[in-house]
Amino acid sequence: MAAFIQLFVSGLATGAIYALVAVGFMLLWQTSQTINFAQGEFVMIPAFFVLWAIRFLGIDFWPAVGIGVIVSLIILGFLFKRMIVDPMIKHGVLPMVISTIALSIFLKEMVKDFYSSQAQPFPSLIPSSDINFFGAVISTQNIFILIIASLTVVALNFLLNGTRLGRAMQATAQNPTVARILGIPVERMILYTFLINAALVALASFLISPIYLAKFTNGDVLGLAAFIAAIVGGFNQVRGAIVGGLILGVIENLAAAYISAQYRGAIPLILLIVVILWRPHGLMGRAEERTV
Amino acid sequence: MMQPVLEVTDVSKRFGGVTAVDGVSFKVYEGEILGIIGPNGSGKSTLFNCVLGQLHPTHGSIKVDGHDVTGARPCDLNRLGVSRTFQLLQVFPELSVRDNLILAGQEHEGSMLDRLLGPRDAGLTASANQMIEFFRLSHVADEKAGGLSYGQQKLLDAAMAFMAGPRLVLLDEPAGGVNLTMLGHLRDRLKAINTEQNATFVVIEHNMEFVMALCNRIIVLAEGKIIAEGTPDEIRSNPEVIEAYLGH
Amino acid sequence: MIDFLTSRGFKIFFALFVAALLITAPFYLRNFGLYLIAMWLVISVAALGLNLTLGYAGQVSMAQGAFVGIGAYVTGLMTLAGVPWPVAFLCSGLLCFVVGWVLGYPALRVQHHYLAFVTLAFSTLVFLLMRNEEWLTKGIYGLTDVPRPILFGWNTGKAFDFYFFVLGVVTLLSLGVWWIIRSPWGRAFVALRENPVRALSLGVDTRRYTLMAFAMGSAIGGFAGALYAPLVQFFEPNSFALPLSLNLLLMVIVGGGGTFFGPFIGAATAVLLPEWLRIAQGYYLIIYAIVVMILMLFCPTGIMGLGDRFISHFRQKRISAERADKAKDMAQQEGK
Repeated sequence: MAAFIQLFVSGLATGAIYALVAVGFMLLWQTSQTINFAQGEFVMIPAFFVLWAIRFLGIDFWPAVGIGVIVSLIILGFLFKRMIVDPMIKHGVLPMVISTIALSIFLKEMVKDFYSSQAQPFPSLIPSSDINFFGAVISTQNIFILIIASLTVVALNFLLNGTRLGRAMQATAQNPTVARILGIPVERMILYTFLINAALVALASFLISPIYLAKFTNGDVLGLAAFIAAIVGGFNQVRGAIVGGLILGVIENLAAAYISAQYRGAIPLILLIVVILWRPHGLMGRAEERTV
Repeated sequence: MMQPVLEVTDVSKRFGGVTAVDGVSFKVYEGEILGIIGPNGSGKSTLFNCVLGQLHPTHGSIKVDGHDVTGARPCDLNRLGVSRTFQLLQVFPELSVRDNLILAGQEHEGSMLDRLLGPRDAGLTASANQMIEFFRLSHVADEKAGGLSYGQQKLLDAAMAFMAGPRLVLLDEPAGGVNLTMLGHLRDRLKAINTEQNATFVVIEHNMEFVMALCNRIIVLAEGKIIAEGTPDEIRSNPEVIEAYLGH
Repeated sequence: MIDFLTSRGFKIFFALFVAALLITAPFYLRNFGLYLIAMWLVISVAALGLNLTLGYAGQVSMAQGAFVGIGAYVTGLMTLAGVPWPVAFLCSGLLCFVVGWVLGYPALRVQHHYLAFVTLAFSTLVFLLMRNEEWLTKGIYGLTDVPRPILFGWNTGKAFDFYFFVLGVVTLLSLGVWWIIRSPWGRAFVALRENPVRALSLGVDTRRYTLMAFAMGSAIGGFAGALYAPLVQFFEPNSFALPLSLNLLLMVIVGGGGTFFGPFIGAATAVLLPEWLRIAQGYYLIIYAIVVMILMLFCPTGIMGLGDRFISHFRQKRISAERADKAKDMAQQEGK
């Protein structure tokens, strides 16, 4: 029982991180039909922005994190939209996919060649310790992740549903033409979703790098997890991506322990195939509607 | 009395609470050109899609040459000799005009394997060229269909529907968006094919003049039901028809 | 001048020129050069297969790498067990055909990005199987000392001989693909890609053609694998993981999807270009990525598409010039 609780909680924590990344991925798709194949690398790289700031600018951790966030917003949010997505959107889905695949290669190799190909330790945001819960050993790290992720989700939900800005973004996602007629600055709304995605991936990066170390190959696993979470949960709703991420994290962890460590990676894939074929709009998505 | 080429019996189509087509029945005999007209939303396109297998009718039956084809797949209908044109132009832009025509005829008979191992043009170059000549597209025969003018594409579209030597052709708004000169040309070619090959058509159209000049019999739909049937002259002077159009 | 370049005569001359190059170059190349060109040819075949599925029939597949892997393992294991290569070759293709057909079923349910993810998942699953089922594939240790075929007494072991062997097989496979593309099937595939609804109403059995597109493309990938195994003689599962499928996808689009020569050009950029960029040391991947992004920006129809644009640009110029001349003449006439 204790082991189960441990696995479940750490699964939830990883799942929460997947959820954040999946939400960002889904937001981009909803508002601008962008399938970002580089999403995994987007999660890998902010940690390296921080490490680079520490090493080359000689500043402390927390200011470096601040720099990391700003650089992420600029490069992964603004520049990504302006320089890659905007020009590419008129060519269609496939060229966009190819470009983001190329982008993922680019980001990966930049880190490998200009920083290091070795895994780098990343300082955790809170000091690590363990709590004893009915015999199960749970790390404060995981609790922290769950708390931060939950707060982020609540904040995001409030932004999207409780503010004018958020509702304008939803309108843009549902029907850009009508939104324009209503006077909503559609381009700016889309830019905001890119910035939100940049913020989400940066956060995910800072949460996951202490656990798995910062390595240029992290993107592979994280990207796939994001896609699977977004699709399994439901491409249409924030709720769906969150549920998808959590389910994925827990199932992955439990499968590794109870079924087979070698085929740990297979379970999410099978889950993905089953969901796509049986219920393509995801467990929580609705077939026709699109909402943010 | 000869067996009708197309027999639609009591066909209805409901989408949730909306009844798009309500108990429509009619027959089409060989060599006829039947027109179906009606105000927007009267169910014309839905009816078409039911006949062609794109939609399953909620009720009723559709027979082609006596065979029950209700709900059959479009490609199977094609093999029975039914073909159609689309409201939104649907030629294949990357294929040449000639290739578009060959494609339109190549799946009509023979097996998949024949098509792989047999001749490149599936023996259809001659008929394709015939169509090209008939529809006066010779000067663009080798160009990609995507590069043609709208009117030329419409002609190609119609030509493709005839490639397989079909029993029955359903034309969905063939006059849509075509300029006056082309329109006359199109009507003239359709009448000619009807005379020469005794081809049977059903035409949905909004363009009254076009329909009146082309068809020998007309059906009027309003709110999913047939409200009038007869020759162009009869329909023109039918008070209910006028009401249906003006009333909306 | 444009007329000359696009004329039939020049095309034939160019083809013969390339053929001559391919046949005589080996005499001037050393082992590594021969290996490289052979690798280019083999990868081109895999790209050719994906081009059939994606470029012509419009079905997104991110699993081509897995099929190369399946073909390589089937051929590797069979030839190591003493089975003659031609038999292993055919078995590779056949198995990949069947598996590819099965993979086609999801394509009947979902399209585009959903299909991309399904095939992606499939690709990774195959990789996991290759890695974990050690009793069959020797897992991460891989297969070693895969023999090169001996055909009718001709031992292809040396780089020189093996190169010609690969050239011969690839030529035959290319001709086969050429035949398929030019046949009614090719036409049906294009119709499937451009407008499945209209295709269906014209009698094209889109279901069967979709499955066939997957099956054939995958089988060709398997054939590529059957050549890959004796070429490298040592491989392990990582060679066939997701990056290979993604690279093949890039090759097809960069070269020009839906064109016959696109895959060869795409494979050249992925296999040969990095070698030439060795001067830039490890940075060639970065340069490659940047080049791909720029290319997609300006010419999503790939390098072949660039060529097309070039030609039509000059044609257009010439037509405009002719029109201008004509107008001038007419004006002069009227002036008289």
